[in-house]
Amino acid sequence: MAVELKTIQHLCELSKLDYDEDGMKKVMGEMSDIIDLMDEIKEFDLTYDDTKDGNEIRFDDTREDVPEESFPTEKLLSNAENTDGCYVVPKVVE
Amino acid sequence: MNLTRVKIRELRKSLDSKEIGAAELCGEYFKRIEAVDPELLSYITVTKEKALKDAENAQKLIDEGKSTALTGIPLAIKDNICIDGVRTTCASKMLENFVPPYNATVIEKLNVEGYVLLGRTSMDEFAMGGSNQTSAFAKTKNPYDLGRVPGGSSGGSAAAVSASLAPAALGSDTGGSIRQPSSFCGVTGIKPTYGRVSRYGLVAFASSLDQIGPICSDAHDCAIMLNAICGHDRHDATSARVDTPDFTEKLGQPINGMKIALPKEFYAEGVDDAVKTAVMDAARELEKQGAVLVDCSMPGLKYAIPAYYLIACAEAASNLSRFDGIKYGFRGEGRTFEELIRDSRSRGFGEEVKRRILLGNYALSSGYYDAYYKKALALKQEIIRQYNQIFERADVILTPTAPTPAYKIGSQDNDPVKMYQADICTVTVNIAKLPGVSTTCGYTEDGLPVGMSIIGKRFDEQTILQCADAFEQGFSPVAPKL
Repeated sequence: MAVELKTIQHLCELSKLDYDEDGMKKVMGEMSDIIDLMDEIKEFDLTYDDTKDGNEIRFDDTREDVPEESFPTEKLLSNAENTDGCYVVPKVVE
Repeated sequence: MNLTRVKIRELRKSLDSKEIGAAELCGEYFKRIEAVDPELLSYITVTKEKALKDAENAQKLIDEGKSTALTGIPLAIKDNICIDGVRTTCASKMLENFVPPYNATVIEKLNVEGYVLLGRTSMDEFAMGGSNQTSAFAKTKNPYDLGRVPGGSSGGSAAAVSASLAPAALGSDTGGSIRQPSSFCGVTGIKPTYGRVSRYGLVAFASSLDQIGPICSDAHDCAIMLNAICGHDRHDATSARVDTPDFTEKLGQPINGMKIALPKEFYAEGVDDAVKTAVMDAARELEKQGAVLVDCSMPGLKYAIPAYYLIACAEAASNLSRFDGIKYGFRGEGRTFEELIRDSRSRGFGEEVKRRILLGNYALSSGYYDAYYKKALALKQEIIRQYNQIFERADVILTPTAPTPAYKIGSQDNDPVKMYQADICTVTVNIAKLPGVSTTCGYTEDGLPVGMSIIGKRFDEQTILQCADAFEQGFSPVAPKL
């Protein structure tokens, strides 16, 4: 099944991704093939039962909520390109 | 020193007896990396300076008689496991200059042991792929044939161990990424049970499937590595609070009476004859050692690829939404906040990563969620049920690790569907959160390694390592001529 252009455009919005015209054509073809493969699962006749998932492995053993020393600000900012003691971003409010 | 497929335990003896010093040992590995890796491309970053410091610390421990299993042992670490102060790229332009401010828990554990870091091994970008050809920096080749892929996504780790550029390495496995490259490169790799090893500091691909594990020359070394990295971690709520046995304990014990299941669907059409023959020969060898072969079936395998890709990509789409070019990572251009983020992501991610984000958002989006994502979750439950049913009659399950041996570079580049289908033998193990070990069971006429996977019950890594080790004792591996 060929995926429609508007579907891919919608997915690009959700994914925050852009393609140029050629890239869009290519990815449409690839996504059509991939979704054909995914469609095979529709033949499978069973419904998800969310009550069965809880007992797989117990992961409710969370740690105590105790304040701890955090990372130094300088170290955390060292991976950002523009810093002035904070993360610099383009103007958000016009 | 001859480094060819030298075992961790052999190096332990050499270090403790002072036959070789820790600095000299890592120096030997760097010489070999310099000689071989410009062509093999298994490493993205070689950490010579840090290694010498690590070796100095390790030597002190050895001299004081305080060495443990991995003190002074040089290791390679996949480039998606965070190491404080060491560039960690995930083989992506997005993280080309990213230097983590903290250590992954597995690295903290290796530090306690006094390991020596040789460098960061290449991988498919963000661990998405089975060929290492989606790496933005080092498209690793197969040590047995440089015209072929090493597998992936931990292809750099497997190739480095295979070519003796490291005695052991860490990889990560979301749908086969430790086992399949181990198979293609003729080494042994284990994906532990989900929850056995902390994921804290592993750059997330699909959080319900990801697991860190070792790639080594044999099952015994895998057990030694797993001993060092396993255990509950307060920083990872999905790490399990279960007993951590000595994984070397059952090695060498006879497998007499061990029930080994062979699900027929794993040996069906689509699996190369050479692979089937090698795995079946191995099954008969295990039978000779006293194991009992059990026929069984896993009909759910038919839908495993779509189920896996829908779950993995849905989680990836969510996990990778953190890459916005603001706090860290590749920063694009844009006059507005929205433009900046879109440009950063569009130019920072490679094509395969972008395809998987699109697929993940497709599966999760309104109108498709029930038909795809929830259906995939239903299949996950069914696969778990089918595995449980098999384990009622068997101790372990034996399957091929991959349908084919290593294929030629470029042969699957433009066909994502073919690439996804090649994961058929490994993905269900991640879906069901089981442990699986891949070891070499034969070679094709062209000399390419063929791997078999031994799958165990949850948290029963001991038995699959025992079984793999039993086979390895009677098998003569052939190292690549590099």
